[in-house]
Amino acid sequence: MAVIDRGSALSGLTVAQAMRKLICRLSRGATIQQAIRHTVKYKINAVLIHDERSEAVGVVSKVNILGGYYAGLPITAPVDAIMVSPPLFCRVDNSLDSVLDHMRRARVQRLYVVGEEPRKVIGVLAYADILGMLYKFCHECKHRTLRELEADCPKKVADEFRVGELMTTTFRAHEEDDSLFQIMETMSANRLRTVLIKGRDGLHRGVVTTTDLTLAYLHGVPASTTARSVMSGPARTCAYGERLIEAVKKMIFWDLDSLYVHKEGAADIVGVVTLAEVARVRSGSCRACMISRIDLNE
Amino acid sequence: MGVTARDVMDTDFRTVRPENTIAEAVKAFKQASEQRRQKVFGLMVTDARGLLVGMLSLYDMLLLMRPKNIHIWGEMRDIDVTGFIEEACRRARAIRVGDVMTEEVVTITPDTHLLMIVDIMIRKHIRRLPVVDGGKVIGIVYTSTIFYELMERLAG
Repeated sequence: MAVIDRGSALSGLTVAQAMRKLICRLSRGATIQQAIRHTVKYKINAVLIHDERSEAVGVVSKVNILGGYYAGLPITAPVDAIMVSPPLFCRVDNSLDSVLDHMRRARVQRLYVVGEEPRKVIGVLAYADILGMLYKFCHECKHRTLRELEADCPKKVADEFRVGELMTTTFRAHEEDDSLFQIMETMSANRLRTVLIKGRDGLHRGVVTTTDLTLAYLHGVPASTTARSVMSGPARTCAYGERLIEAVKKMIFWDLDSLYVHKEGAADIVGVVTLAEVARVRSGSCRACMISRIDLNE
Repeated sequence: MGVTARDVMDTDFRTVRPENTIAEAVKAFKQASEQRRQKVFGLMVTDARGLLVGMLSLYDMLLLMRPKNIHIWGEMRDIDVTGFIEEACRRARAIRVGDVMTEEVVTITPDTHLLMIVDIMIRKHIRRLPVVDGGKVIGIVYTSTIFYELMERLAG
């Protein structure tokens, strides 16, 4: 049972309480095409690869899939050709504090969970799962950063924050005539999952996401094609001075994990705000918790 | 030989194509349910040659509708989410069947024995089995059909 003490909402919580039991996996003989279909269908970023003894041998993420696209591999090629090996594991009885530290050091967002038998995966633990779960624990925590402020205020203090206070400026833009090759290079160099697409007039036309690119690969679109032909649009934005609660609603409404932030007019994009960051702030998670100290992109 | 798939299969079935949209698949689900006079929870997906390429099931539709980030915002119970289901449906309607269907489909032949069908359904947790002959779909067997077939025999 979880015990909230010493200012850390994570105390007493183990991997077993946060992990998912649904594991998306493929055998190492499966094709890249099958891996793409799995990521699209299950709305996930990576697929576990196992051998004939059902032991986990690797992971294929959307980044690895795009590596195959960039290199010109046919989608019928085996996942063996692009998988990263070995997968990173944690144990079902590990503390969440320790696995978050593991994720931060390895700069990954997911670990595969094993029990007594090594390499026999029984679950998967993603950073987002921990964020969601910790939301309710931090909400009840006596060390919650917003508790004192809210005692004197009928409104939810976190929602009075403005988007501009939370956004980051780590976004990149491309022109709609740029090739998918160029976009993949930008994504890879900057560890981005979305690139903003602008017209020659400087106005944004849409976005290209890793999902758009994997689908382009699946549907046989050459990587020399322009961004215009695969971009999804429009780019979803919120205003720099907009209240956080409104930005959250937009992300939920459009099922997005981030929004572009505009300042003067809709065309003036100045940053990005993520659902993960908003969730952390709304939870009131304090510096005592590893959850507030982790930055996987650092 | 005894009772086989040929004797219990439903030959009046509807299929969808991989290039169909979810909106078109929903219409096919409704038409198939009216045709069978009971709710249908899975449709076979065939290509232009009539070859089976997948199955679109209830589970596939649930996966499609599940929001990607609900494990994060699902705990934010103080947020008003009115209208979000309608927006999720609007997005889903344009998705292609081929992008969400299940490709690995267990099939049987017209000569598969009734008790073999029972065994496959139990072992693989399958509620419907396409009957394939020479690569082409010629029928489908539902658990409910098998159940009532066995009920009749059990009743003596």
